[in-house]
Amino acid sequence: MNNNYLIFFSVTLAIKAREVLRKNGINSKVIKTPNKISNKGCSYSLVIFGDINRAVDIIERSGIKISGIIAADSQ
Amino acid sequence: MIYLDNGATTFPKPYSVKNAVMKSIHCYGANPGRSGHKMSLKAAETVYSCRENASVLFKCKSPENVIIMPNCTTALNTVIKGILSPGDHAVISSLEHNAVVRPLEKLKEIGVEYSIAECIPCDDEATIDNFRKSFKSNTRLVICTHASNVFGIKLPVERIAALCRINGILCCVDAAQTAGIEDIDLTDSCIDYLCTAGHKGLYGPMGTGLLIINSDIIPESLIQGGTGSMSSELTQPSILPDKFESGTPNLPCIAGLNEGIKFVIDKTTKRIREDESILMNMLYNGLSKIRNVVLYAPPPEIKYFTPVLSFNIVGFSSEEISSILDSNYSIATRAGLHCAPLAHKQFGTEDIGTVRAVMSAFSTPSQVQLLLRAVKEIIYTKK
Repeated sequence: MNNNYLIFFSVTLAIKAREVLRKNGINSKVIKTPNKISNKGCSYSLVIFGDINRAVDIIERSGIKISGIIAADSQ
Repeated sequence: MIYLDNGATTFPKPYSVKNAVMKSIHCYGANPGRSGHKMSLKAAETVYSCRENASVLFKCKSPENVIIMPNCTTALNTVIKGILSPGDHAVISSLEHNAVVRPLEKLKEIGVEYSIAECIPCDDEATIDNFRKSFKSNTRLVICTHASNVFGIKLPVERIAALCRINGILCCVDAAQTAGIEDIDLTDSCIDYLCTAGHKGLYGPMGTGLLIINSDIIPESLIQGGTGSMSSELTQPSILPDKFESGTPNLPCIAGLNEGIKFVIDKTTKRIREDESILMNMLYNGLSKIRNVVLYAPPPEIKYFTPVLSFNIVGFSSEEISSILDSNYSIATRAGLHCAPLAHKQFGTEDIGTVRAVMSAFSTPSQVQLLLRAVKEIIYTKK
């Protein structure tokens, strides 16, 4: 797997984060978090199509809490 | 049918609302925020869009602060029962709906007390002073209607909320009768909690309401259960909106509410308010010229009134008038106490009730004229 994932506690936060990234020129996609990257129960993630470090920075600056970061090279 | 019962729920709804309800059932009727397939995600997007549009309309902090509820009553119960504890005191206005009074009466059983501050129509200073005088050292929460659902009288809620903030008291506003009509801007507002129906001035389907949290103090949730989030934890998540939204949401109606809110944003509250006020003044002026019609408030000046009007006819009960309007003229109004006995008590109508007419964005001058003509005929026929 070569995807970068950002995990969020809820679908609301995942969609909100996607919209923030979109406004900043980073594309992403909301998915149900795969069990292989998090087994803490239901959550939603963004697959990031772009620079994950920049994506994390943008989301954190907007005040949205990220519950997990899975970078492609860490898998 | 000439529908002037828009205070109970607006009718008709915009086409976009009806289409959105149908489309959600036909095309993506999956459970939002539960699964990962395309239909479920589309459903979740729709629910999010509704929150986002509500946050735009009310200029609130963030879409997740918009809690979608089954109705305004549930939103008010959530704030009242989620904030107040034994030993606390609350203050309400003299025009509150039973959605506020009954939860407080219930809380009396566990040692919560409340006081009633009299609203003085068209005298904001006196009303605010009455709230100030009602505060006690243990006052925790003020719950205040934005406007009476019976007489249309507006309360200076922003100033009451500011007074609460100075005194370290939380403030909850019931905007059931004003959302989508009056301007409500939560930016820099001291209103902590805004509760409203989704099916009145926001033109959504019945079964929708909103609680907007504009405070760092989050009420306890009335119910707990599955939220589609943090499922490995046995305790309720504290994140918004999940804390308050256990169980499957009402997707078709939320889809409709989303379009209703967009309808209001596009039309603007200013235009809706001004259009309805013109009709309400036409009705008030017409009724005031008919002998034996009883009006209970001064002319509905836009500064002090939202477009809601109550009247009676001498020699008839309110239920009788409303029934004749329905059966003989196909005009829908609402008679009785409108679930607001406190307001009726203040105006001396608690034994007879009133006939209430409320406009919507779809009301027309000819509908008002037909109501006026019907009232004249009812009085003439009686003679």
